[in-house]
Amino acid sequence: MSFGALHVARTGLDAQSFRMQVIANNLANVNTTGFKRDRANFETLSYQMMTQPGATSAADNRYATGLNLGTGVELAGTSRIDTQGSFAATGNALDMAIDGAGFFQVQMPDGRIGYTRAGNFDRAPDGTIVTSDGKPLIPQIQVPEDATGLSVGVDGTVSATVPGQSDAVELGRIELARFANPAGMQAIGDNMLVETAASGAPQVGAAGEEGRGSLRGGMLEGSNVNVVEELVDMIETQRAYEVNSKMIQATDEMMKNATQTL
Amino acid sequence: MDRVIYTSLTAMRGSMARQTAIANNLANVNTPGFRGEIAEAQTIWLQGSGVGGRAVSSEEVIGADMRSGAIAATGRDLDVAMRGDAMLVVQAPNGEEGYTRRGDLQVAASGLLTTGDGHPVQGAQGPITIPAADAIKIDEEGRVWVVPAGGDPENPQQVDRLRIASTAGSDIVKGLDGLFRVRSGGILPDDPEARLVTRSLEGSNVTATTALVEMIEASKSWDSQLKLIGDARDMDSATANLMQLPR
Repeated sequence: MSFGALHVARTGLDAQSFRMQVIANNLANVNTTGFKRDRANFETLSYQMMTQPGATSAADNRYATGLNLGTGVELAGTSRIDTQGSFAATGNALDMAIDGAGFFQVQMPDGRIGYTRAGNFDRAPDGTIVTSDGKPLIPQIQVPEDATGLSVGVDGTVSATVPGQSDAVELGRIELARFANPAGMQAIGDNMLVETAASGAPQVGAAGEEGRGSLRGGMLEGSNVNVVEELVDMIETQRAYEVNSKMIQATDEMMKNATQTL
Repeated sequence: MDRVIYTSLTAMRGSMARQTAIANNLANVNTPGFRGEIAEAQTIWLQGSGVGGRAVSSEEVIGADMRSGAIAATGRDLDVAMRGDAMLVVQAPNGEEGYTRRGDLQVAASGLLTTGDGHPVQGAQGPITIPAADAIKIDEEGRVWVVPAGGDPENPQQVDRLRIASTAGSDIVKGLDGLFRVRSGGILPDDPEARLVTRSLEGSNVTATTALVEMIEASKSWDSQLKLIGDARDMDSATANLMQLPR
């Protein structure tokens, strides 16, 4: 006697608990700058043919349909939902939000280039513009110590007033990267994504051109997590978990009755 | 000994198979576009001398429940849900044409447009490859539009059109890979009138409450067969007692 139903229900429990983890991560990052929510994707496991359709059942009878039993469900992966987060004005000149597609490029300690939507940049002691955890923005831009009136234009130009000059001077220009398939990028933590074979090569250039979004200085892009949506998903997941554990309970009861009666 | 326990055994096997099918439905209660399976017991009459009037039970999955699942808006550009009973045409792992209700499309590393479980969707010219693009959009009629890399966002270009098949009047059956096919072979006709709900996803059509009731029913049928086997044992031992020589 096979215990198929038990294992099938177990795959359901596993998948739902993974989904819960994804939802928990979305909710945990509800206030993370530039965070994009993930969605768990389920897929059915393969089917098992127990009885072939057309097989002889008895004498002249044949099975009309056969018996294909499913073996459950698994988490195929997660997909990032790249919708725009809402903007909030912060008044801090080095806070930037991308309005549209594109990513900031950041030099990572291991030599790779990280891509991020989180635009909460700071000025390092040596004057370079860095992320809040100190990774330098690419291309590197130096802000002189005595610069005042720092501003970021929609095309990415960073300008400031320096003593002795009446006009604002251009300090550099922020370039954005965009990808053919941003959903294919791999998240590595710290708000950072890296390119993969699936994402394609980055197309780097000025903000606001060739489909890249424009920059909004003094603003931050919030996460695109919708708390109500996540909570509804959470309830759905919880109930799905519950019915699968009911199934385990029922099958267990069947086995118990069998061992007691036989 | 009487064969009643063997007849009961076939029913028990059937109950467990049905329980597995219900467990699979419940496990897939959140899988996009999933169609629940319906398992039913069939009677098989035994033939031959001395077995007339005897029948055993055999469990069969008679087909899938083809009612629509609930459609929910997701806001993702590559999510589509089918209106009515139309189905997306995809390429099955063995190269054949398969049909699915699953509409969470994605672009694979090779640029191929696939469903969430990795089956390439079919366009008018075979599998659809998405060129390097700034934006991808699928409209209500299933046309796939892209804004080519560096192109004018106001001027998207059509890459292909998703093939959507009409299932009306055809007998379709779910295969071992979870895709639907025409039962006796062949392909479904395309449905030019089919419409999609864009940026939305159709959920599984498994109703948890119905499945739970079916689960209890399958458990009870298992239990009643057990009871019969227990009764048969009692009768056998009673007979053996009767036959015992007095001491």
